[in-house]
Amino acid sequence: MSLVSRHLEENGIPTVIIGAARDIVERCGVARFVWSDFPLGNPCGRPGDKAMQRSIVGMALDLLESATAPRTTVQTPYEWSPDHSWKKDFWSLELSGEQLARQKVEFDRQKEIARQKRESEC
Amino acid sequence: MDTSPSREPIPYVERSRSYYLAQGYDNPYNWAQHDEVPFTRLSKPLSQARLGLVTTASIYRPDLADQGPGAPYNAEAKFYRVYSLPSSERPDLRISHVGYDRVHTHADDLDAYFPLAHLQQFQREGRIGSLTPRFHGAPTNRSQRTTVEQDAPEILARLREDGAEAAVLVPI
Repeated sequence: MSLVSRHLEENGIPTVIIGAARDIVERCGVARFVWSDFPLGNPCGRPGDKAMQRSIVGMALDLLESATAPRTTVQTPYEWSPDHSWKKDFWSLELSGEQLARQKVEFDRQKEIARQKRESEC
Repeated sequence: MDTSPSREPIPYVERSRSYYLAQGYDNPYNWAQHDEVPFTRLSKPLSQARLGLVTTASIYRPDLADQGPGAPYNAEAKFYRVYSLPSSERPDLRISHVGYDRVHTHADDLDAYFPLAHLQQFQREGRIGSLTPRFHGAPTNRSQRTTVEQDAPEILARLREDGAEAAVLVPI
């Protein structure tokens, strides 16, 4: 999506990204980015918390107007949990050899599904 | 392996590299990296502008495997062409086709990953001039080349057809 953002900006359409994978977005380099330090899967706010979601989407609208230069990242004020241990679980390397092997089998199976689907749709 | 303190943001680039290597792949994903960043200013107040919306969520297909909420990763639900749907209706979009955090969140609230309803409310309140009549779906898990040469130009063309003067992009 960061690459899409760059293409739109290059062609005269201002953009703002609402997201959670900060290093991936900033490494690619985008004009405007509203970032929450959340698990991937709910960039607009905690599920069920409509007030938080509205606040985050509102910050993106504000940033569309207020940014004066590229690479403007705004961090939202929300914390997923006072305990940040959730960050250890994603793409965790703290797995046994057996768990890793099981994951690889499933990973390869899904990759093959994706490959076949890509070939049939393109 | 990263040794970041727990309060630091997750270093996804480094962690994905380690994760792939641990699984025995010697070609970890090469995340895009650019020094120069293009920038376009908004040409008018947002209250007078037409706003587009782009998502990486996928249209729910009952004929495919479990798409959640809470479904395991499901490559069958991936899509490889840009899609567009009317903004006037609430779509059924799912995220089982991407690698989100299935331990700590569960994809059980569309508004948490697809902000159309919130944008419509901002429009009713006059914060946004108008929304484009369609929103657009951007394929994921493609080569950077495919994104840059095929998908991004397609999304630009559709936003232009819609008269979009700015766009909100929401990657899962």
